[in-house]
This record gives sequence, C-alpha cells and structure tokens, in this order.
Amino acid sequence: MTDEAIRAAQGSESAAKYRGLLEAAPDAMIVVGETGDIVLLNLQAEKQFGYRRDELVGQPIANIIPEGFAERLIADGTRSAAEALAQQIGTGIELSGRRKDGSEFPIEIMLSPLTNADGVLVTAAIRDITVRKAAEAHLTQTVDELRRSNEELTQFAYFASHDLQEPLRMVSSFMQLLSNRYGDQLDAEAQEFITFAVDGANRMQQLIHDLLSFSRVGTEGHELIATSAERALDRALMDLRGAIEESRAVVTRDALPMVLADPIQLSQLFQNLISNGIKYHGTSIPRVHVSATSAGPEIWSFSIRDNGIGIAPQYFERIFGMFQRLHGRGDFAGTGIGLAICKKIVERHGGTISVAPNQGDGMTFRFTLTGSGGLR
Amino acid sequence: MTSRLATDVNVLLVEDSPGDVRLTQEALRGANISIRLQVVSDGIEAMSFLRRESPYTGAPRPDLILLDLNLPKMDGREVLALVKADEAFRTIPIVVLTTSDAEEDILASYQLQANAYLSKPVQLSAFESLVRSINDFWLTTAKLPRQGQSRG
Repeated sequence: MTDEAIRAAQGSESAAKYRGLLEAAPDAMIVVGETGDIVLLNLQAEKQFGYRRDELVGQPIANIIPEGFAERLIADGTRSAAEALAQQIGTGIELSGRRKDGSEFPIEIMLSPLTNADGVLVTAAIRDITVRKAAEAHLTQTVDELRRSNEELTQFAYFASHDLQEPLRMVSSFMQLLSNRYGDQLDAEAQEFITFAVDGANRMQQLIHDLLSFSRVGTEGHELIATSAERALDRALMDLRGAIEESRAVVTRDALPMVLADPIQLSQLFQNLISNGIKYHGTSIPRVHVSATSAGPEIWSFSIRDNGIGIAPQYFERIFGMFQRLHGRGDFAGTGIGLAICKKIVERHGGTISVAPNQGDGMTFRFTLTGSGGLR
Repeated sequence: MTSRLATDVNVLLVEDSPGDVRLTQEALRGANISIRLQVVSDGIEAMSFLRRESPYTGAPRPDLILLDLNLPKMDGREVLALVKADEAFRTIPIVVLTTSDAEEDILASYQLQANAYLSKPVQLSAFESLVRSINDFWLTTAKLPRQGQSRG
C-alpha cells in the first residue's frame, strides 16, 4: 500500500471515528464550514430541528439558526475565520433556533474548531434550553412578586404604626379620663367595665407593637457585620435592667465569640430569649446562663439556659409560631410573638433555633450563628 | 390690642384629631395654667397662623409649636421644612408630637431641624407625664428667645 493510500485509509478511518462520535453525542451536533454551510449533522440535530439530514447538508446554517451564528464565523475585513472562531471557543452562546415547521426555540451553542485539509470547520454542540429559560423567567417573576409583597408589607407596617394606634389611643385615653374624672360618681361595676375596656385597648396596643417589631426584622434589618456577641449581650442586659431587678434574676455567661450579625438584632434576640427565661419562673430565683460552643468551622451554637417552669414536649415546635400562647392570660402576660421574632432574626442570619428541656429544671434555647474570627 | 401677661406662654398645637387636641389641652392645663393654647388642624392653617394671614390677623406669635406629622392638606414634615427655612419663624422651637415611632419618621424630622421628636404613649398617665415634661423642659427650664411684645 502506498503512503498516500495509507494516509487516505487512516484519514477515512479517523473520519469514520469522528462521525461515530458525532452520531452518538447526546447533544445536537452540527459541523459548519467556513462559508456558513452545514457539512455534517447528527441524529439529535435532526430530531431537534425536525429535518432529515439530507434536507440540511449543504444548506446555510442561517436556515436553522437565523441570527448570531454565521456572523460569528465569517472572516471579514478585520479578522480571519480562525481568529473569528478563536473568540467564540468555550463560551456558551444563547441564540434562537428555527425548526422545520417554522417555530423558534431558545438554544445554547458551544463551538469548537476542526481543522482539516479543506480549511477550518466548526463543530457546534447545540442544546435546547427551553426548560431552563422558562425556569429563569419563573424565577424573575417570583423575585418581582416577592419585591412587591415586601413593599406592601413595609407599607402595612407603616400604616399599623400610625393609623391603627391612633383610634386605640382615643379609646384607652378617654376611658381612663372618664375613670379619673368621674370615678367617684361611678359604682364598682362601672369601674370594672372601664377597666376591662382599658385592658383590652392596652393589649391591642401591645399586639400592634409586637407585630410591628416582627415585620421590622425584615424591613429595618441592617447588613451583617463582624459583631461582638459580648457587647450585644451587655446591651440586652441593660435594656432588661428593670425586669432583672424586679425578679431578682441572676444572669451569667461564658466568653462569647465574634459573629457575623446585625448588632441591633442580636441584642434584640438576646433580650427576647433572656426575658423569656426570666418571665416563666417558678418559685425559685430565675437563673439564666448564656454560653457558646463551636458547632463546626466558623459556626457557633449559642445556649440560653433557664431554670424556669419549662414547657411540655408537644409545644417545642409550636412555641416559635406567631401568637402561640401556652399559658392562660392570667398567668403570664404576653402576646406570644416574642419567640416568633427570635426565629425570624435567627433565620435572617442564616441560622437555626430550637428549644429543649434541661435535665433538671427549665429549658435551653439554642441558636446558631456564623462566626467572624474567634473568641473575644 | 389685648395686653399680655409677662408670664403668659403661647403654644401652637398643630393637630387634626379632635380627641388628641382635647387630651393635650387637658394635660397642658394640668401642667401649667399660664399656657395659652392655640389650635390649628392642618399645615396650611399653621402657616396662615404664623404669617398672621386672615382669619389669624390678630394671632400671637407662638413660643413653642407642638406638631403632629400626619396632617391633611399639608403634612407635618412640610410645615417643619417651611418654618425652619423661614428666617422669620425658624427661632420658634418645634416639638414633633406624633403617634409614629418609625425610624424613618424620626430621622426625617431631625433632618428637617425639629427641636425634638416625641411619640405619643398609649397610656393616659404616660401621655400626661410626657406633656408635663414638655412643659418642664421647654417652657420652664429652657430659655426661649424673646419674641417681642408688639404686634404690627
């Protein structure tokens, strides 16, 4: 066999191998020549575009990819075909494909060059991205809806802060004025009626206030920065001074780390949890202990442990829901939203919160936060 | 021209809720009987009052303004901005007395140069105490500029 014949035989062998690979490829593969005509295509390409291959070979690529393909390849005054091609390699390009029936669909193509004796050919892997585009559109739509909903929530919170509270103040204040001014002209029952009315108004006011706090976790949250948990706890204890003194509570702590947090919200979190620990005390002096342990690389698990009356296991999940009140109104005051606020804050920080009973008295609340560089 | 007692203090209350007007009146009366309280119910009236335009041609110049933020026609923030921008009136202390405790309202008010921002408490006793402290601070302790006795 002559050298030429061998080369020809080898050439056709590798050509056959190449054709085999192309045919077996999961994506539509189309080989296009320098002039923009289709040289070769595989079964997937036939299926994707709805043509038989003999209908496409020799046809301009622009027949099935109307815009964006041919232009990218063609040697023009400023660059050669090889240069033009080199600029496109490796990047997925989003274009539009046209089927035999005229319908268009979104595609992503990846180009790779092929050089043979006839010049530069381009192999294009073509992927139908209809599903992906639909998912992207859905995502964009969902984000827009969320933005709108958030805006509405912000407006509602603002509305609640004024327009709901004003009539409430009128009811409450004038009831009290009535009692103050005409108290001696009213009998005990009338006084009692007034007390119920005032009490109702006050509770409503507290509810509105708590609802506002809840909504503000999202709308007035600041960005997460390196925060000293020690200082956040100090601030919380300062705000709780009154409650602590009144109940003679003892609050202790271990060293606390630096964490990634909104400092104001972290204080709020400590305040709510410690207040909870103090409020639901039995007969003994309330004791609350705050500590933190490492729960993984740059993850801290904080514990707020109390010696209070605890809660039954069936309430462990519910306790973080909004308006979940597990005690009669007479026993413990409260709107039942404090822990829902805690949960919202923790989740905003990317953490999780849970509660579990202690071996002895009381419960321990645990929440996780991302660390920001060691103990401090 | 009515004579003005040396101890008389003029307070302008800009408030549209009649209930709140009444409560404030009661509380001020309880705090300091020398207070002469004038009331207007929206921002436009407030500006007319200050400028002594009809029907306020005989109006006394307030020593202190208590301003609600949410008013019809011209809201409290606008009044704040106008008064503090006007050389003739900017020396009158303005205390914002409003229901909101929203951050943006507090910030906006101080940016517009309010002298103080107070949110109205729900409890009557707390409200009375607040009004008393306004009187104690602004009308008793703090020195206010002499506004001049004559009314042209």
